[in-house]
Amino acid sequence: MNVNASSSGALRRFLKATVAAGLALAAFSGAAHAASTCVKGDRKAPYTIGWANIYSVPTWMKQTEGTITAEVDELKKAGLVKDLMITDAQGNAQTQIQHIQSMIDANVDAIVVIAGSSNALDRVISDACDKGIAIVNFDSLVNTDKVTAKINTDSSEWGGEAAKWLVNKLGGKGKIIVMNGPAGISVSDDRRRGAQPVLDANKGIEVITETNTEYNVAPAQEAMTSLLFANQEIDGVLSLGGALSAGSVLAFDRQGREQVPITGENARQFLELWKEKGLKGWATMQPNWLGALSVYTAVQALEGKSVPAFIKVPLPVIDDSSIDSYLARADKFPADGYIYSDYDKALFDKLLAQ
Amino acid sequence: MTQASSSRLYGAIQRRRNRGLVGLYLVVGAFLLLYAVLFPGILTIGGFSKFTQNWFPLALVTMAQALLMLNGGITLAIGPLVSLGAVIAATTMGSAFGVPGGILAVIATGLGIGAATGAIVALLRLPAIIVTLAGSFIITGVALILLPRPGGFVPGWLSTLLAGHTPVAFLLLLVILALWKIFLATPLGLAIYAAGDNPVGAFRSGVPIERVKIVSFALSGVLAALGGLFVAAQTGSGDPIIGAPFTLNSIAAAVLGGVGFLGGKGTMRGAVCGSLLLSVMINVMFFLGFPPVAQYVAQGLIIVGAVAVPARLALWRAAR
Repeated sequence: MNVNASSSGALRRFLKATVAAGLALAAFSGAAHAASTCVKGDRKAPYTIGWANIYSVPTWMKQTEGTITAEVDELKKAGLVKDLMITDAQGNAQTQIQHIQSMIDANVDAIVVIAGSSNALDRVISDACDKGIAIVNFDSLVNTDKVTAKINTDSSEWGGEAAKWLVNKLGGKGKIIVMNGPAGISVSDDRRRGAQPVLDANKGIEVITETNTEYNVAPAQEAMTSLLFANQEIDGVLSLGGALSAGSVLAFDRQGREQVPITGENARQFLELWKEKGLKGWATMQPNWLGALSVYTAVQALEGKSVPAFIKVPLPVIDDSSIDSYLARADKFPADGYIYSDYDKALFDKLLAQ
Repeated sequence: MTQASSSRLYGAIQRRRNRGLVGLYLVVGAFLLLYAVLFPGILTIGGFSKFTQNWFPLALVTMAQALLMLNGGITLAIGPLVSLGAVIAATTMGSAFGVPGGILAVIATGLGIGAATGAIVALLRLPAIIVTLAGSFIITGVALILLPRPGGFVPGWLSTLLAGHTPVAFLLLLVILALWKIFLATPLGLAIYAAGDNPVGAFRSGVPIERVKIVSFALSGVLAALGGLFVAAQTGSGDPIIGAPFTLNSIAAAVLGGVGFLGGKGTMRGAVCGSLLLSVMINVMFFLGFPPVAQYVAQGLIIVGAVAVPARLALWRAAR
């Protein structure tokens, strides 16, 4: 009896504790529901951010890192960030794994990453996620969904929009050359794939031939020069990125051929040639400020805001109406760099609210 | 009597070999100590496991490279073989072959490609550097055909076993080093050194030079392919180009470890130590907070230093 009483007392205490725990759990899962993936809410500002770059040498990467450090400086002023750790895996995905492991060991609060391989980082990133580190992945994405957010533009839309503009400009009829980035690179593949449905839908457009080169002026110019010898009639150039368009324009110029409508990216050299030669042009971009947006997103998530798992950034478009506003800022960008569209906190908040 | 004198000879040779490595041991020891000070977590099982896992594939490919360099050869196909090993592991383990089948397939591939390369080099008397350069293109192509984009599958339990929170990778490295030690005691193992040091002399003493060369290429191929298998387990999938940087790093690590380009000179423990230095250096620079640009410079300085310190020590010892 006595035993019973005490055991029922124990039971009561147990039930009470369970209910309390249940309530706490409910409250907690409510909080967890509002918070973002990986973020546990146990990390307090000011935060330490790790920026795990795959390769820091290309100009696009340097400019991207510039937006990251600028954003970190802003956040430092606001007392939200105390430190930024930068690594460069020199193109080696294995080294990038080692760097991210070191960031986990150093107990950073957030990791911002451009992946050197779409799935090699999956395990180390999910380890970091388990430790409550906010992971924001942009530009070159990983497979795993154990990240706080992935941020990118749509490469397929890139190709599609470029093709649409060119087809309209040519009135749905003409011979064109397609200029691609390197074969086997997912960005290059995706842009080309995005252009295909538009080309299929317009039977009047004939693709004479295609090029695959590095995203650099010299190889693109070389490739276009030999194509100009072989083809007397070219009505348009569907260039899918980087400095390819600048190479093409220079090739036309050297051969004394009349310039044709051309698409491209926000490479400063192309935009300047566009203005100088009075081209019929169109361009979009992979904005460098995706880096800044990633840092901002990571800090927002750590602060307990709910951020979307995938943030699709709309492609900014440069056309005749907006090119002057880009060229007006040209001297703030490196000569072989990219003139990206303006960004501010309001734009970031809008993108995070989607 | 013979027993005693031969063991005395053995001890003397080992001492002479180790002496050349004292400088490197000091440098590596200093870096490990610095790393432990910067990140005490390395002394826990979990921290030690993760660190050695990131080092392990480099250690394997460095052994693969050093094995050939000791025999007077070299290979530029290490990286592609790592990629191919990873691709084969990730494409077979998910299929009916299962994990044992996958492991066998990886070993068979490394053995077959290595032996074929060795046969071309040895029997057609072609320079290893050219044959393996050509081989690297072919192997890269095959890996890309098998798996055009990163993908495939390695069972989670295998990933956790090899690259979880236990030092299994480190234990495997010890086992492989012990096997190498035993192999060196066999006539074939000894012949690798002999043929690399003085091929004509070795041939006249009855060493089958060609066969030894083929065997060393085959063993090297197996080690590189196993490195790929580990990378696949570590990452949980295959990537057809992930191995590329291993080619140069394996040569750098072996040379750091005192393995000469001309054959017969150097030790496996030195090479493995060299790979450890390359690996620990990355972590130390991270914890010192070096910006990437400084890391490029520091990396170069450390490598030059690690070669210069032992060389200066040797000079100093000779002068004394």
